[in-house]
Amino acid sequence: MKRLNPAQLTGLSILSVMVFLALLGLLEPPCLSNLAPADINVPPFQNPRHLFGTDGLGRDLFTMLLKGAAGTLFVGLAAALSASIFGYCLGAFSALCGGLIDSLLMRLVDALLSVPAIVLLLTISSLISSPEFTRTMLAVGGLKQLSQGLALSDHSLGYLPLLSVVAAIAATNWLESARVARALTQKLMTEEYMLAARSLGAGSLHLLRYHLGPALQAVAALETTLLTADAIIMESGLTYLGLGLGPATPSWGGMLKEAQSGLLCGNLHGAVLPGLFLALTVMGINLLAARSKEHG
Amino acid sequence: MHFSFIAQRGIQALVTLLTVSLVSFALMKSLPGDPLDILLGSAQKDIAPQELDTLRQELGLNQNPVKQYSLWLASWLAPARDENLALGLSYRDGRPVKEVIMERLPATLALCGLALVLSFSLGIALGALLAYLRLRGERSPAVRNLSLAISAALAGFYAMPAFWLAFLLVAALALRPDLYPPPIFGISAPGKDVDLTIVRYLLPPALILSLRRLVKVALYVKELALQELSSPYVLSALAKGLSLFQVTCRHVLKNCLVPVVNLLGLSAPSLVGGSVLIETIFCLPGLGRLSVEAAFGRNYPVLLSLSMLYGTVVVVASFAADCLSRSLDVRLQEGN
Repeated sequence: MKRLNPAQLTGLSILSVMVFLALLGLLEPPCLSNLAPADINVPPFQNPRHLFGTDGLGRDLFTMLLKGAAGTLFVGLAAALSASIFGYCLGAFSALCGGLIDSLLMRLVDALLSVPAIVLLLTISSLISSPEFTRTMLAVGGLKQLSQGLALSDHSLGYLPLLSVVAAIAATNWLESARVARALTQKLMTEEYMLAARSLGAGSLHLLRYHLGPALQAVAALETTLLTADAIIMESGLTYLGLGLGPATPSWGGMLKEAQSGLLCGNLHGAVLPGLFLALTVMGINLLAARSKEHG
Repeated sequence: MHFSFIAQRGIQALVTLLTVSLVSFALMKSLPGDPLDILLGSAQKDIAPQELDTLRQELGLNQNPVKQYSLWLASWLAPARDENLALGLSYRDGRPVKEVIMERLPATLALCGLALVLSFSLGIALGALLAYLRLRGERSPAVRNLSLAISAALAGFYAMPAFWLAFLLVAALALRPDLYPPPIFGISAPGKDVDLTIVRYLLPPALILSLRRLVKVALYVKELALQELSSPYVLSALAKGLSLFQVTCRHVLKNCLVPVVNLLGLSAPSLVGGSVLIETIFCLPGLGRLSVEAAFGRNYPVLLSLSMLYGTVVVVASFAADCLSRSLDVRLQEGN
């Protein structure tokens, strides 16, 4: 393990704090879960029971921040991971196939990349959250288990928004990874050790397992980190618009959405704190990733 | 040679555009629900089946998908033709999609244009300042701290979600009724649009929209300028007796121009994408807000036409940037 420089260390410590907060939010220790009704719009540092104040519904802002951390970080990580895994597999596959498949796939990637991500995101999430989609999910027999797991029913979307937001963000983010993976694979295939392996009779699978895979992994790790930051920003924007996570899954974007109306009643902290947490998390990720790009 | 390059890139751009249209059309057709159902709504019960068939024929819904696709494409290319195709009608009010889009175009053009100007003028200036401070900072620690502070502030701004800054700014501006008399940005009159002819109203959203791009341009220009200034030709020009200012104006700026033009061409997606949230928050009657409305109302013809339009803009912008940087830089022409 390389030694971390100060910037990376800052990024890492910010992220560790955020992950710790998210874990606290998930475990809900009784001393912290403080959602009992209280006065609304209490400013911070006034009431010792609500150090960060309360929101427009009288919920403790700190508890909400803890709960939101889990949703935000989960969506960011899950979307980035699935996007980069899919993108890297497809990119490497495309480069290994070559020929017609390669050019067809890459034209598709070009086309999808030319549409701004948020417009794709709006289209996909509007598709997934449509009642027709839910009805199909409930009707298809094989999906029954999944629908039950997601607490999906005729009158409630359950956890489906969580899944659909991850899917929508992943569906727009894999494009860049596919391009990078394809270029990298093509470059690696011209290396001499590849030629050596191939002339010894190694097939595509062997090359992927022992030569391409490890080389791609290092780049993929960095890219996933950066994608996580993008995914977090996308999720908060989407949730803010009302097309992302529903009220069942608290997230910082959702808190911002709720805080906007409180802003006019003078509840400034409710709007500032979730945004600051978002910005800090994204900055932590950027610090961690940008520096390792320079030195690695 | 130059012509063949343009032709090659042009064909590539055309293929990309065709794929965008194909994907948009396929998505639109694969959606559940009959467009006629959605267009007519509950009025469908009152219409005789024969008339429904005639309507279907008029809207082109009974033709095979390939024919429908070619008609849809033709209606995109040739204005004022085949406007009454089902896929060319907004589900919300039955008006032609093109008319709806044209209405909203000016606001987006004004916002994105202003944001583009702001991000590049301020970004280049800030980048040049950062490069200058870096060179100066090698000798004095105070200057180095200043440049570090600016860099940290830029990184902070880059990490902030633009929509969050946007609604905080709206809240802050609402406190200044002398500058922005209410109702501003739809705050106390939801849905009331902003008057676009007043620059004062366009400046705050444009500033927020340009912020991320501005940081990117500034950091890029700083790295570029430092790299160019440390290259041997600058040293030899200085040795010949030119001043640093002369070298910068005559040689360095020219070499920095090509990458910046490329960056300009590539900024279309982020600007257009960013305008979606910014227009919604600032209540600007633009295409971005239209796409949010369309996504909420499941108005797929509008949504997919918009993605087609955005795709066209992005492809054309990157094509133009390619051609422009070719004609600016002789080295690129010879390299091919």
